[in-house]
Amino acid sequence: MITLSNVTKTVKSGSDDLTILNDVSFEVPDGQFVSVTGASGSGKSTLLGLIAGLDAPTDGDIYIDGESIVAMTEDELADTRSKKIGFVFQSFHLIPSLTAFENVLIPLEIKGAADAKERAARLLEDVELTNRGHHYPSELSGGEQQRIAIARAFANRPAILLADEPTGNLDSKNGSHIFDLMLQMHDANDVTLILVTHDHGLAARAERQIVLVDGSVDSDDLLTHKS
Amino acid sequence: MKFILNLTKREIRSSWKRLLFFFLCIAIGVGSIVALRSLIGNLSQAVGGDARALLTADFVVDSNKGFSPTEISRIESVIEDSSIIEARNEIMESSAMARPAQSGSEKVQFVSLKGIEPPFPLVGNFEMPGGKKFDFDLLENRGAVVAPILLEELDVKVGDKILIGESEFIVRGTFEKEPGGSGGFRLGARVFIKKDAFEEAGIARNRSRVRQRILYRTSANPTALVEQLREKLKGTSLRVLSYRETQERLGEQFERTENYLSLTGLLILVLGGVGVWNVARVFVEQKRKAVAVLKCLGAGGNTIMLAYLLQIGVLGLLGSAFGVLLAQIGLWSARSAFNDALPDTMSYSVAFGTAFQGILLGIFISLLFSALPLLQVRNIKPNLLLRDDNNDEFRTLDPVKWIAGIVCLLLLLVLASWQAGSFVVGGFFLVGLAVTSAVLYFAAFVLIWFLRKLKKFGSFSLSQALNSLHRPGNQTKVILLAVGLGAFVVLAVQSLESNLVREFDFSRNQRLPSFFFFDIQQSQVAGFDKLVLESLGEKAEIVPTVRARISHLNGEPLNYDNRDVRQQQGQIGREFAVTYRSDLDEGEELLEGFWWDETETGLPQVSVLDSMAETLKLNPGDSMTFDISGRSVTVQVANIRKLDVRNTRTAFVFVFRPGVLDDAPKSFAANILKRVPANQRQRLQRDVIDRFPNVQIVDVAEIVAVVQKIVENFVLAISFVGSFVILSGILILIGSVSLTKSQRVYENAVLKTLGAKRRTLSAILVAEYGILGLMAGLIGAVFALALSYAVSVYILDIEWQANLSLFFTGVFVTVALVTLCGTAASVGVLLKKPLATLRSQ
Repeated sequence: MITLSNVTKTVKSGSDDLTILNDVSFEVPDGQFVSVTGASGSGKSTLLGLIAGLDAPTDGDIYIDGESIVAMTEDELADTRSKKIGFVFQSFHLIPSLTAFENVLIPLEIKGAADAKERAARLLEDVELTNRGHHYPSELSGGEQQRIAIARAFANRPAILLADEPTGNLDSKNGSHIFDLMLQMHDANDVTLILVTHDHGLAARAERQIVLVDGSVDSDDLLTHKS
Repeated sequence: MKFILNLTKREIRSSWKRLLFFFLCIAIGVGSIVALRSLIGNLSQAVGGDARALLTADFVVDSNKGFSPTEISRIESVIEDSSIIEARNEIMESSAMARPAQSGSEKVQFVSLKGIEPPFPLVGNFEMPGGKKFDFDLLENRGAVVAPILLEELDVKVGDKILIGESEFIVRGTFEKEPGGSGGFRLGARVFIKKDAFEEAGIARNRSRVRQRILYRTSANPTALVEQLREKLKGTSLRVLSYRETQERLGEQFERTENYLSLTGLLILVLGGVGVWNVARVFVEQKRKAVAVLKCLGAGGNTIMLAYLLQIGVLGLLGSAFGVLLAQIGLWSARSAFNDALPDTMSYSVAFGTAFQGILLGIFISLLFSALPLLQVRNIKPNLLLRDDNNDEFRTLDPVKWIAGIVCLLLLLVLASWQAGSFVVGGFFLVGLAVTSAVLYFAAFVLIWFLRKLKKFGSFSLSQALNSLHRPGNQTKVILLAVGLGAFVVLAVQSLESNLVREFDFSRNQRLPSFFFFDIQQSQVAGFDKLVLESLGEKAEIVPTVRARISHLNGEPLNYDNRDVRQQQGQIGREFAVTYRSDLDEGEELLEGFWWDETETGLPQVSVLDSMAETLKLNPGDSMTFDISGRSVTVQVANIRKLDVRNTRTAFVFVFRPGVLDDAPKSFAANILKRVPANQRQRLQRDVIDRFPNVQIVDVAEIVAVVQKIVENFVLAISFVGSFVILSGILILIGSVSLTKSQRVYENAVLKTLGAKRRTLSAILVAEYGILGLMAGLIGAVFALALSYAVSVYILDIEWQANLSLFFTGVFVTVALVTLCGTAASVGVLLKKPLATLRSQ
């Protein structure tokens, strides 16, 4: 369960304070697929970053499974991410100096998983990139890089998958492939999926859709279908 | 831990090219330090361990005025009671003039003559051509064994006759190496003759020129016996030297040299450390996203930092190991280059301890200099993957960094003190380095500020080049610091050399005689004067000299039990050549007291040279007693004199008031100023020796050549070390260029897209490195001039002159080097296709 309680995020913009998120509160039950949409600058990515503990809110609190992450130290946050959260970025953020296989392996090694190599190999198989494991990110296409990123995000069997515009840098065919893959892994692993996207088509396939406008929740709707 | 090790392994695999400069910086630094330490360590072992062979005995009783019967009996009384004496002999040494016996030859040569008796040597051996053994029979019946060079100098061969003093000798052979080795600075080739023949040739007649030694070989440690002898010989000017003390003294000297050279090595290593710091700084900048990703995936800041520190440590270890290999190669090169000058028994291997120490230093320097940049890893926030907004925070200094900085400095101080063998010297080294770096850095800062003001001038290429020098993340100051420091060291040494060489340039000092003649007897003065006048057309300056030894100061005898007096025994216990005259000489200046008036009568008086007055703590009014041919003469110190050595023909320490020494046995010394060609010099020497065989001649040109050779070797050695500093600077330059390559590639891609041709881009590149080289060269050259001025005037007390050709050559060479290296390292940038670059951004 993810709980946001009156979360506000303000940053300095020159000499002024700029409010990116304003008093946002909602809960996401385990296993739910939530899409977050909104215009550029509406605070979508910031919201995702705060949930992942990549940044701290200026005000309010965030709970993961009932535990506040706001008061956590950097190392505790890192530990929480390692155990509970997977993240997929728009620009993939693979480590360029590591091969595809090693990129998937890294979170397993951080966690100290005993069967790290076997699991990484299985994950590569899941994203159908076994034969590209020894390639470096620069040798992979955008779609392939994002598939590696998804495999990496699922490496430690996280309870939560946060995806920040995962198809934003891909063409429609690759985008669709990636989205399907995410859904497939979401279903298979029963993870909570929060997807930030501009694509209304993709957003509409979620169980629940939150729309942000100027840092506030404009609408929060449960959709009637399940994708 | 597994994650840390795996990450380290992968990072090394992927980043080794980028960190190659890091590796090389450490390798060069460690290589220098290990090579210098090993060289001195091995030399110390070879020479120090061979102190017995150097002395050619276990202990020696040394005299420079012969042995009186009383002294001999005192020595014998101690020796007779000892059961450890195995063998004894006596030797005599002096300088003399040698010339071929055949008439018509104009050759004449100053030689270093040694009269020996069997068994010689007591310790060590002659090395004769063809591996033959030295046979004492070679010296029988006026035979001589000579250094091979003398055959060339006199144009004679084995079997020919030569004249030394008043005797004729047959050259019976040459030696390749004499017992005890060359023994350092020596004027004239060595000639061995029998001790009896030495005396017969009339050379020993002037005892003050002869050094006489009694040598002993013992079957056990001679220290106790030496102590006994010293006790027995108290109150005499005889010196007792044991090989063990020589060994200790040499050991101390070598240790000091080793420590100072280690500091030079440490300077290179610290410069390498600057390179490491620069690489680590840019490395962390470039790794920010990777660090953010790792943090995003759950890795803690400390874990990541540990992985990078481990990576640095591993590279430091490998770089240091490579440095040890370089040091070994350097030692092998030293063997092939300086084999003749270095002892045969010297080892050319890097000692295990030295290598271990070098590796330890390399790892420490790597970690110390990369610790601060790596601390930035802690501040990298994972949210930069979403928004790159923590730059400001990234750049600010936090307390942890301040503390880490102070700890690094303290550790550096410990390292410097360890290498220098002294906390104070280590501290001075570090402060000196910090001040030099700060001054160079500040100069670089001012120059960049000045260039910024200029950026609106000049062509497009020039403007772009100037812009590049202060673009964000530029390496300008670091490069200026590193290359400027290298140029500074090399140019400072060169500048000092030119001033030193000029100081010894005998053609410049018109008052420096071209010849000195000693031991001219009263009866020979007129003939000698006439001969010189006829040969050169110049009247020689002839001054009376009397041999005198200090016996009492203010009524107190010189006490050789006193440690200070004993240490200065060579300087104050020797026999002085003193003179008397009524006037101050040109180039002399009175510092204290008064010069005597001819008409005034009173106490016998003496004028003392300032340096000796300082050594003896003498003031005007003090009394001194001299032993002159067994007669005591007490005089009052009338004044203290200063001598301008650049403007004088003679340099007497003691000048007496006329009248005091009128009846003393004296000889005359002469000097002439006229510069003549080598053949005329030879002829004059030959003519003088033919007519006055007892006269000793010093050809100043030969001395100057020897001194210049020593200075040149000294400068060569320092320049060699300086070139390592330059090499480190160049490495940092290339490293810096490579580190900023991606930024340059992107800028070039944009410029190409906007229509810039490769020629324009090349011009920008050349202009950028040309300006950088110019600034580094200017900074190095200006500070080099300043340092050479300070050292010349305040330390060496020599005349200083700015060497402008060196200044401009130095600047030009630096510009050329930096332009060449910088452009060569960046040439790949010009060849990249812009589209691929722009798409990858």
